[in-house]
Amino acid sequence: MRLLHLEGVTKDYALGKTIVRALRGLDLSIETGEILAIMGPSGSGKSTLMHILGALDTPTDGTASLEGHDLLKLSENDLVTLRGRKVGFVFQTFNLIQALTAQQNVELPMIFLGVKRRDRLERARYLLEKVGLGDRVAHRPNELSGGERQRVAIARALANDPEILLADEPTGNLDSETGATILDLLKRLSVDQGKTMILITHDPDAAAIAHRVVRLRDGRVVQEVRNA
Amino acid sequence: MLREFLRLAAQNVLHRKLRSFLAVLGVCIGIAAVVGLISIGLSLQAMMKGQVSKVFGVDTFVIMDQDMMNRQSHGVMKEFALDMETLRGVEGVKTVAAVRQRTAFVQGGMNAEGKMPQGFMPVMGLSPELLTEFSAFTGDLALEPGGRNIQVGDVEVAVLGADVAERLGVGVGASFLVAGEGKNEIRATVIGILAASEEDGGDDRGFSGGMSSASGDTVYIPYATMDRLWPEGNDFLVTAVKTLPGYEVDDVADRAEVALKAEGSRVTAITSGDITDVIDEMLGYINIFLGGLAAISLVVGGVGVMNTMFTSVLERTKDIGVMKAVGAKNRHILAIFLIESGLIGMFGGLVGTVFGLGLSAVVCWALNTFANMPGGVSFPFVASPGLIVVTLLGAFAIGAVSGLWPARRGARMPVVDALRYE
Repeated sequence: MRLLHLEGVTKDYALGKTIVRALRGLDLSIETGEILAIMGPSGSGKSTLMHILGALDTPTDGTASLEGHDLLKLSENDLVTLRGRKVGFVFQTFNLIQALTAQQNVELPMIFLGVKRRDRLERARYLLEKVGLGDRVAHRPNELSGGERQRVAIARALANDPEILLADEPTGNLDSETGATILDLLKRLSVDQGKTMILITHDPDAAAIAHRVVRLRDGRVVQEVRNA
Repeated sequence: MLREFLRLAAQNVLHRKLRSFLAVLGVCIGIAAVVGLISIGLSLQAMMKGQVSKVFGVDTFVIMDQDMMNRQSHGVMKEFALDMETLRGVEGVKTVAAVRQRTAFVQGGMNAEGKMPQGFMPVMGLSPELLTEFSAFTGDLALEPGGRNIQVGDVEVAVLGADVAERLGVGVGASFLVAGEGKNEIRATVIGILAASEEDGGDDRGFSGGMSSASGDTVYIPYATMDRLWPEGNDFLVTAVKTLPGYEVDDVADRAEVALKAEGSRVTAITSGDITDVIDEMLGYINIFLGGLAAISLVVGGVGVMNTMFTSVLERTKDIGVMKAVGAKNRHILAIFLIESGLIGMFGGLVGTVFGLGLSAVVCWALNTFANMPGGVSFPFVASPGLIVVTLLGAFAIGAVSGLWPARRGARMPVVDALRYE
């Protein structure tokens, strides 16, 4: 089943007085349950694509749909709700909130969706157990190692049980050994829980866990490889 | 969800302890100034009202010149004409006591130089009821040792101000001449001399103080003796009226004023309520002025909160991006930051209120202990619940309003830009 579909997508940015075209007529479809790696050099439009796939931003032109919802037609609030329910983000720099404990960071997406306190606590603990941090729930981010922080971020991304896990350079700030365990965790979780995963990465090791690798250059898909 | 936002906001406040503390301190100082100054104003008001009710009680009113309650009178007492019998006939009136004032030629006895000192002096006729029933009006007229006060049934006696006694060269037991209208004259025996300290003492000693022009140069004689020297005329200074039990003092005062005015007396009846109204009005302005001054420091505190919140929003730009990425709507972000600044305001308000009340309590205590107030005047410490509630709500509002602008800026930040922010 087609989960995400982009067709002829362009995205323009105003950079001072000049208009920068980050995406130039990009086509891409992603199936439910697929693990897709998006690779490409800096400036190829990876981040912009990620923002559009994650419903953080809308295209300037073209069509973009998530589970049949036309992203260009949704109001800002509907877009927020959609990404809150359907997309879980894992960032290169973890992006945990420093003032909150690991558990509270995992609870955060559920708070905004109005999940009841008891259910929230239970799910946050379950997810932290799942990523191997059952004994770290009350620690704040600055008391955790890089790998542990990324685990918290993964637990947070799974909080609202989204269809899609969107990971932007998830191993970029980790040493290779830790990176490998994080990749392993991501793959295991997405397979176990039937998630669709999109990896934006420079890292060939990361790309290796994907079913399909898409290469971008100058805002277009220039290569598509299916891994065996 | 509000509870969660409250928790998030509280955690943010606690996470930046020093900065939050400084912002709280700013609000705290402002609120302490407001609460402290207004409470001191309220104490002043309570003190003055206490004094009024001490003099008046619940059953007494006074008749004075009709301009007395006007601003133009500047508190100067003018004489007026009055028919005591009309006043006594008003329904609900129990006792009437009057003070009349004239200027009289007085002459003392022969002195050592063979001269008889003489001059024109103010003479006041005091109803004996004034001394028996309205003792609060006259205060405790302290006399020099050996003297006594005017009593019911006294005739042809006088109590002298210390200056008069000295100038006439008379002491207790001696007599002097008082000349009234026409050929009316008496020789009055001095029964008492006002203690000198009494005269320039406090402002609240009845007739020896601010309520009349009485001073060391006044001759006090019984009312009946006054009658013999001058017929009742345009010479009433003040008339005190006590009402019968069961009558509303304001009603009796209104009836008395109407009855007297019908006879052409230019008078007004003043109850304790009237005086309290004047005090309230006057101190109301003082309180507004004091509150306004203090409000300036509150505004400064608000600007401090605003500054803190701008820094906080800027510093947490990335957090805002993350929260929006995981499902926070603009109004959620707005709410979190508003609650945060509101908390700073409210906490500052809470501590500030305590400090303000403490300040007022200390000032009251110091005035009562060290200022040596005359006549048992005391400043009661007033903690007005209304003031406290209004201040706390106001403090929260100041925090929230100061946070509004920064919070809106945070809430409207595009998620992609916020996430990119380093």
